[in-house]
Amino acid sequence: MKNVIDVKHLTKSYKSNKAVDDLSFAVKEGEILGLLGPNGSGKSTTMNCILSLLKFEAGEIKIFGKEMAPDAYDIKTKIGVVFQDVAVFDELTVYGNIDYFCGLYIEDKAMRAQYVEDALKLVGLEENKSQYPKQLSGGLLRRLNIACGIAHKPKLIFLDEPTVAVDPQSRNNILEGIKKLREDGATVVYTTHYMEEVEILCDRVIILDHGKIIASGTNDELKALAKIEEKVTIEIPDLAPEKLAGFDKIKNVSEVEYDNGILKIVYRKGKNNLIDMMEYLKENKIHYNKIFSERPTLNDVFLELTGKELRD
Amino acid sequence: MTVSKAFWKITAKNIGTIITYSIILIMFGSMNMSGNSTTVEYEAVRPNIVVFNHDEERGITKKFLDYLGENADIAEGYEDDDELKDALFYEQVSVVVDIPENYSQDLTFGRKPELRLRSSAGYVAEVSKAMIRRFVTTAESYAALSLSENVIVEKLDNALKTDVKVEVRGAVDASRYAKATRYFSFANYSILACVITIICLIMTSFNRQTIKKRNLVGGIDIRKMNRILLRNSCIYSALVWLLYVVVGFIVIGAESLLNMHGLLYVSNAFVFCIFATTLAYFISSFVTNTGAVNGIMNVVALGSSFLCGAFVPAEYLPEGVLAFAHVLPSYYYIDANNKIMLLENDNFDAIWPVLLNILIVLCSSVVVVIITNIISKKRQKIA
Repeated sequence: MKNVIDVKHLTKSYKSNKAVDDLSFAVKEGEILGLLGPNGSGKSTTMNCILSLLKFEAGEIKIFGKEMAPDAYDIKTKIGVVFQDVAVFDELTVYGNIDYFCGLYIEDKAMRAQYVEDALKLVGLEENKSQYPKQLSGGLLRRLNIACGIAHKPKLIFLDEPTVAVDPQSRNNILEGIKKLREDGATVVYTTHYMEEVEILCDRVIILDHGKIIASGTNDELKALAKIEEKVTIEIPDLAPEKLAGFDKIKNVSEVEYDNGILKIVYRKGKNNLIDMMEYLKENKIHYNKIFSERPTLNDVFLELTGKELRD
Repeated sequence: MTVSKAFWKITAKNIGTIITYSIILIMFGSMNMSGNSTTVEYEAVRPNIVVFNHDEERGITKKFLDYLGENADIAEGYEDDDELKDALFYEQVSVVVDIPENYSQDLTFGRKPELRLRSSAGYVAEVSKAMIRRFVTTAESYAALSLSENVIVEKLDNALKTDVKVEVRGAVDASRYAKATRYFSFANYSILACVITIICLIMTSFNRQTIKKRNLVGGIDIRKMNRILLRNSCIYSALVWLLYVVVGFIVIGAESLLNMHGLLYVSNAFVFCIFATTLAYFISSFVTNTGAVNGIMNVVALGSSFLCGAFVPAEYLPEGVLAFAHVLPSYYYIDANNKIMLLENDNFDAIWPVLLNILIVLCSSVVVVIITNIISKKRQKIA
């Protein structure tokens, strides 16, 4: 697959603060790339530089093999952008807004009408099309924001934290919509600080911190970077201190925490961890109610790499 | 196309604003017309005159009595002198005329006999005396030519029939155009309100950072988009002008506008619409909140209208206020309307002061455009 975006040695500073520091990456055709990082990590700045909304000191940006510039309208017509902040006209209806932004790319009236209907359907706003933005809930407004960005069926879509402050139903709708866009052949760059979304959506992830790439790869590749294998949680109503101390001695256990009847065990890399733990419970006649195991998350990876949480 | 469509959709959403300010113009512009009309109506007054004739009722004396009868009411029944004095004091009688014996004959021979006149204090008495003087002076003039009594009477007949027509052109024309002046001066408020509100609301929407970013990444040249917005703003302002001209024709009447005065009024209003458009763009260059638009519009439109004499005639305003108003284009717009009202001739020299005012408003527009461009260029430095 050919590269849709090529970013090489991108550097952007705000006065003395380097927001993006020698960043290089590529986005392949048809993939969903997640740009993951805490607030202020440089995700939005990177996106704005790629879109020529910001000037940058150094680096090269190519989209569809051509150098991106503010007046590169042949490239811009193939791009759709959904910004973090809702960008719609309060004075236009839902339909009017989508029609306006679609009209910036599609001149043919009949085609545009069809595209607007498709966008309304994609985000589930068919019944709200004659309403004004102020009449919509926060979640529906976000969906409208997305519809305005993708109505013209772009080949490359940038989504900058589109699910911030959105209710679960709208979030699911938005994520399903993004998957559908990819199925239709679009390449998606998705910036977020919600690791769950990245895990659900993205084929590949770039983790940013302080404007630098600290890790990149598929979900599994990134999780492989974590030193922990799994996290086990067991509900034990009554656990004697001497028996709690015994958990530390089980093979591969790196961390044990017992609080309010919940025991949490973190395992280092290794095999048969659960079997060993079950044997210990049986041998010591420890009664438990529920037990479940989790794989390490991208947050764990980020925590290991930077020493802080993604949402810090 | 899509930008124009959005422009007019937003305008349509705010049509209530245009209607409101148009109604205000019609209501208050019309009210001002009746309240400040400079038309002065005169009511014909026939004075009461008492005549004591001691001459024979023939020749010039008869002519004099006929003349008085035509121009005044001859009061009778005043025999008692005290009663007559009371009547003069209370202005029930304006003048008491005593015609001496042989008055006609003495006048014919150029002896200049004197009429004994007693009058009250009012202006009606003065008018009555002027009327009597007119007869006496005319008769004495003919007598000086050594004409016979009959010829003098005949000449008096013709001379006194000729009305003296006095036309105070300035005053008459001013009253004719007072309506138009009030209407177009009040339009200062409505034009500013309509143009600033709508254009600022639209431009503020388009200039909102989020919308601007989305437009910048869109498939349309942002300069082209700005040109489309400017073109539509100009069309909108022209439509506001046209609307107020049409409303003006209805409210004022076509006869006051279908002439050179009318052409100057509507031209002045057109140039002021251009100024209002540039001012709206200037305000849009620093206002980012649609909520602030109404506040700023009120300050600009109401403020300039009060200071420059759109609501209250400039002659009633304090000197300090007027001195400050001189820096506002609204002052020159309203002043031009006042000057148009007083125009007596259509030649270039007469019109020049009006054109000068219009030119000042036009130059103000250019200055505002330059300042707006400077501000916009500074803001365009996005990174």
